[in-house]
Amino acid sequence: MHLADALVSPGVAGGAGVVSAALIAVDARKLKGVTEREGLVPMMGVLGAFVFAAQMINFSIPGTGSSGHIVGGVMLAALLGPWAALITLASVLVVQCLLFADGGLMALGCNILNMGVCSTLIAYPLVFKPLAGDCGRMWRVVAASVCASVVGLELGAVMVTVETELSGVTALPFGSFLGLMTGIHLLIGLGEGIATAAVLCFVMKFRPGLLSPEKRQGGSTSVLAWFLGGAILLGGCFAWIASEDPDGLEWSVGRLTGGTEIAGGTGDVEVALAAVQQKTSLLPDYDSTWSGIIGCAIVLVLVWAVTSLISFRRKNKPV
Amino acid sequence: MTTIEKALIRLHEVDAQSRGDFLLQTLDARAKVIVTIAYIAVVLSFSLTSFSGILLFAVFPIVSASMSGISYGQVFLRSMIALPFIAFVGIFNPIFEREPMLVAGDLTISRGWVEFLSIMLRGVLTVQAALLLIASTGFQRVCRALGCLGVPQIFTTQLMLIYRYIYVLINEAIRMDRARRSRSYGRRHYDLSMWATFVGQLLVRSVGRAERIHRAMLARGFDGHVRILGHLRWSSTDTAYCILWIGLFIAGRFFDLSSVLKFL
Repeated sequence: MHLADALVSPGVAGGAGVVSAALIAVDARKLKGVTEREGLVPMMGVLGAFVFAAQMINFSIPGTGSSGHIVGGVMLAALLGPWAALITLASVLVVQCLLFADGGLMALGCNILNMGVCSTLIAYPLVFKPLAGDCGRMWRVVAASVCASVVGLELGAVMVTVETELSGVTALPFGSFLGLMTGIHLLIGLGEGIATAAVLCFVMKFRPGLLSPEKRQGGSTSVLAWFLGGAILLGGCFAWIASEDPDGLEWSVGRLTGGTEIAGGTGDVEVALAAVQQKTSLLPDYDSTWSGIIGCAIVLVLVWAVTSLISFRRKNKPV
Repeated sequence: MTTIEKALIRLHEVDAQSRGDFLLQTLDARAKVIVTIAYIAVVLSFSLTSFSGILLFAVFPIVSASMSGISYGQVFLRSMIALPFIAFVGIFNPIFEREPMLVAGDLTISRGWVEFLSIMLRGVLTVQAALLLIASTGFQRVCRALGCLGVPQIFTTQLMLIYRYIYVLINEAIRMDRARRSRSYGRRHYDLSMWATFVGQLLVRSVGRAERIHRAMLARGFDGHVRILGHLRWSSTDTAYCILWIGLFIAGRFFDLSSVLKFL
């Protein structure tokens, strides 16, 4: 579900980034003081690293021959509480993005919303907490894990669809794309839920104190208000980017030049240059786009060759 | 080699690359973060039917790779990792957008295929920019740069702690996985119950470790803030680096440089 940069427009990425940054800022304020008092800082760090390591261990999915791994949003929320889990999961997403190219840097805000917020701030307080209660009975934890994971991942899938459609990247109709994404993520959500339940049941057996309910605070109403505000921001302010009208930068060019494209010249100099170009061009019969592409490729090869010959080694070590 | 062992090698690789003594490694991390974000934003701002305009932006990762002493081929291969999900979303464009767009002799390419190639190209270039940022800077310095650029301290502290403990926990998971594989007669994957025991055990050990770490941190006067020696230093080279690249990005975005190349 990690959204790559190529699938979002700068407007949608920026909008999601603003909402995610606001949530992280609220989160940081909420956790201020609590982290030092309860030893949450090292716990969050170690559990973030744990989720990262656990994602590398795949379990086999019966009857399919394939394997899957845990995402960890609901599990982190069950262990740390929703706000601490959001920061931890967001940190894991940053590590995955920067070190393993899993999810884009610009799309980080989208990924924090899709995978972090949907699981920890929505599915956990609204689904897991009411169903699991005080985590005293195993069947309740199993039901809560499965339901919360399905809800979290389905919400994330809906968000991915909305963000991609708003960005105007895919030609697939919204309904078909939504059906495809939610269908696939229903299965993934069930797998995630079962895996989360299995781990939480193990924890209940060997370290029941880790699932103590007093850790799991988090107001669902304030979260929903933030989330709805973000959704309106994304949907309302940035929808124009996906429209047929010029995008932000084209609009700016349009304002400056009076049109969305810079018109070709018709003066004597331009005509003379065009004639020279026609004579000197390596590929005169190809249309301009082809010539542009081939020209770019030649430039890239030249740049690569020249930079390979230059040594940028410095004597001073970095600070 | 298992996925988890490959991940550990990748972490060591990034650490080694970021400690190089090439020009890009010596620049301030903030300059590199700003330029990388500007690059990605400009590449994404092109219309879907642009291809040659975006292709020219490959100059940035090629030059950055050279400036940091990293093989561009290696970066290129690594950036392929991101393509499957992008291809999954983009492959519907050739199906729905069939109007011809490029004609060269008998070959006609539809609008959908141009859009698909453009999406894939954006995917590769933006991933390369992010990979080069981290390879030339290192994770810790990127975190410090993010902190200087206004990211809340608790978030940057988390990033640093996670990065620190990833090594520890991945090593622990590798040891556990190796012990399990040596007793499992070639079975690659875990069935769910065994996986739950494995991951649950790792979790319980991790929590125990976190508690010990917290006590050790408290004993050394920890007050919620991780203090780091050394400061990021912004020099005139960093200013020049930012102005040069951002100027080139703006020029590449607002003027069709690929049409100028027709004179070749």
